[in-house]
Amino acid sequence: MSLRATDALQMGGAFAEDAEAQARFEGTQRMLAWRRRLLPIAAVVGLLVVWEIAVVVFDIKPFIAPAPSMVAKVLAAKFGMLMSNLLPTAIEALSGFLLGNAAAIAIATAFVYKRTLEEAFFPVAVMINTIPVVAKAPILVLLLGNGMEPKIAIAALICFFPTLVNMTRGLRDVSPQQLELMRILSASPREVFIKLRLKNALPYLFSALKIAASTAVIGAIVGEWIGATAGIGALIIQATYNFDSPLLYATIVVGSAFSATFFGVISWAERRLLKWNVGHAA
Amino acid sequence: MPALALDRPSDRMAPTAAGDATPAITLDRITVRFTTERGTVTALDGVDLSVQPGGFVTLLGPSGCGKSTLLRVVADLIAPSSGSVRVLGGDASVARERRDIGFVFQDAALLPWRTAQQNVELPLEVGGGRAQPGKRSPRELLELVGLAGWENAYPHELSGGMRQRVSIARALVNDPKLLLMDEPFGALDEITRDRLNEELLRVWEETGTTILFVTHSIYEAAFLGQEVLLLAARPGRVRELVPVDLPAPRQIAMRETRAFVELVAHLRRVLETC
Ligand SMILES: Nc1ncnc2c1ncn2[C@@H]1O[C@H](COP(=O)(O)OP(=O)(O)O)[C@@H](O)[C@H]1O
Ligand SMILES: [Mg+2]
Repeated sequence: MSLRATDALQMGGAFAEDAEAQARFEGTQRMLAWRRRLLPIAAVVGLLVVWEIAVVVFDIKPFIAPAPSMVAKVLAAKFGMLMSNLLPTAIEALSGFLLGNAAAIAIATAFVYKRTLEEAFFPVAVMINTIPVVAKAPILVLLLGNGMEPKIAIAALICFFPTLVNMTRGLRDVSPQQLELMRILSASPREVFIKLRLKNALPYLFSALKIAASTAVIGAIVGEWIGATAGIGALIIQATYNFDSPLLYATIVVGSAFSATFFGVISWAERRLLKWNVGHAA
Repeated sequence: MPALALDRPSDRMAPTAAGDATPAITLDRITVRFTTERGTVTALDGVDLSVQPGGFVTLLGPSGCGKSTLLRVVADLIAPSSGSVRVLGGDASVARERRDIGFVFQDAALLPWRTAQQNVELPLEVGGGRAQPGKRSPRELLELVGLAGWENAYPHELSGGMRQRVSIARALVNDPKLLLMDEPFGALDEITRDRLNEELLRVWEETGTTILFVTHSIYEAAFLGQEVLLLAARPGRVRELVPVDLPAPRQIAMRETRAFVELVAHLRRVLETC
């Protein structure tokens, strides 16, 4: 009995014979990996240097555009204050993220099992989605008051739609043959959902979650513009009115860093959970 | 056109089935119609079939002649518009619920988030109390289909042939009495297909399972089957039931023998009129 499996094992053996070539190959791969990581860093550093020089050479006023070194100084000097403003924004963004996505997943599940619900409510979801965030925000402040609630609601709303669309698609797009397989195995509807539809939807869900990770932070910040005394959004408004550009830039750096970290965590979870997914395996 | 050669000579039965009374599959005047926006299609028109326990019947016909539909009727995936289906002496649904039917799809239909072994274990996890394990463990079944050492590989790490082996192992995990295979090797290259054909015969001999195997390859139909059921298209109906008189054990080299060549020529002639 000759098999592909044993062929492949033998091929593995054939590769191992030339250990030196193997080591050279791996060395090249490592170098390429470092190159991929270092190039963007070098580009960012280069741009910062150009910016710094431009501010000095053209004598640009700090309130129009502060030099990177000045922004860095403010970041260090006001680090405690910046962090205490990040906290409410982070809480709002994370709560909104959880609420919005949980609601989207629940409603997508309902849509998949009850077409009528989808036909009735999907157009409503589309309509709400077409209202710009800056227009939704004041309405929600009027409805929910001046606390964290309207900010959480905005972050949730902004996460909701992409997840609803992707999750519905992921739950529905299972192959007919996989469904037939489940029927041959006399699987219950619950088993079909948990063992087939939910797993099938995971890659779709994660692409939506990655979008939601950044938009939830944007939602919370926009909510804070309408009326808040603390938070990244409030700080942006204050710094702008005071022509305190270095603080404005420092605040933006903190907000972006948080957004990027959030995105990174979701990407990391995706890589861990979706090892089986060809598109993400590489 | 009326079905020809339907009277099965009793000496054509599988060796293991000698004297066994109830056929594994009995189809009696099965008709299946599909209604779509474009009208009604008669996929099967009055099809009769009887398969003895332990038998290996191949279904051969042009595409669209209802081969898949016939398999789905036997597997209780489609209810026929008229006619009666008996599987293992009872209702097809009873056989399905008892896990007496294993099904192998053309594209393997593995769950990509499960490793080879987890895919083979799936039938043991779903379907509530029906999921009694068979004589062989999933690991032993993977070994039986030549995949020892690949238990933890994900489907995207396997070749087409290896995926199909996993799906055969999965279909065998409950020791089904009946294995239904819908063009399982249709998407594979010829060399892999030949190899899997030989191995399937070995698995069939080792397990004693009854097999109904759909193919559109004349060679495959003749090489595997103890009988070849030729179907004609539009509407799908039985054209001829051809007994295969080739000695066991069958090997790929046998395809050069005179008996095999003549059989293939006969099948081709009939197929041209389908
Ligand atoms: N679910 C379905 N709905 C409508 N028509 C179908 C369906 N399944 C099969 N058919 C039609 O029935 C006929 C036989 O199909 P099928 O059994 O798949 O043929 P084969 O497997 O021999 O290629 C074809 O004309 C096909 O279009
Ligand atoms: Mg088919």
